[in-house]
Amino acid sequence: MNSILDLLLYVPITLVILSVLEACKQDDPKKIVRRTALNFGALTAVLLIGCVVIFFVNKYF
Amino acid sequence: MERVIRLYVLAAIGLVFVLSVAMFSKDRRKNGVAFLLGWCVPGLGHLFLGRWKKAVFFFLTLGATYLFGLWLTGFRTVGFDDNPFYYVGQFGSGMTTLLASVLGKEKAFPRPDLSLGLYDPGLLYVCVAGLLNLVVAFNCFDFKGAPEAAPPAKEEAAK
Repeated sequence: MNSILDLLLYVPITLVILSVLEACKQDDPKKIVRRTALNFGALTAVLLIGCVVIFFVNKYF
Repeated sequence: MERVIRLYVLAAIGLVFVLSVAMFSKDRRKNGVAFLLGWCVPGLGHLFLGRWKKAVFFFLTLGATYLFGLWLTGFRTVGFDDNPFYYVGQFGSGMTTLLASVLGKEKAFPRPDLSLGLYDPGLLYVCVAGLLNLVVAFNCFDFKGAPEAAPPAKEEAAK
């Protein structure tokens, strides 16, 4: 249960970090939203791929 | 130990203020003042520089993150014993942390009505809000005081 809560809390904090950093870099709100979504997607994909790799490493090695 | 760190933080902020007054040119001094305002309240520095949209955005996002973190930790700031790294990180939030520190509202504790697993993320939220506020405050040095709705220079030159 705790790990699920941690996962749920990952989403808002990551979005806040990415959007604030992006807002520091540029002024256009559309660009900020697009780049935040892109970075969030990339970060989440890396996290998920890492999870899958670790899962298979633990299972078969 | 906590008192020493608090003094270091105050000394660092004071140093930035003195540097901004003594070393920067007249138009950059405004940025130094904006940094200090931004450190006190998220977004206030940008408001001071005329970037009100960014100021509102930073105030809402960082304020909500900070408040959510405090809600998870029983509305107490992070103590040195809780986590030394989070303790230092939260000082980016400025006045709120120092005020809580002076009033003795330190030492976060797990809320009895919430899961124990939410305690650590609460500390993280408070720390991240502080560190991000520091980034936002330093961002004030990037502007040269130009207002947000300035007309594009290229189009004017083409005409």
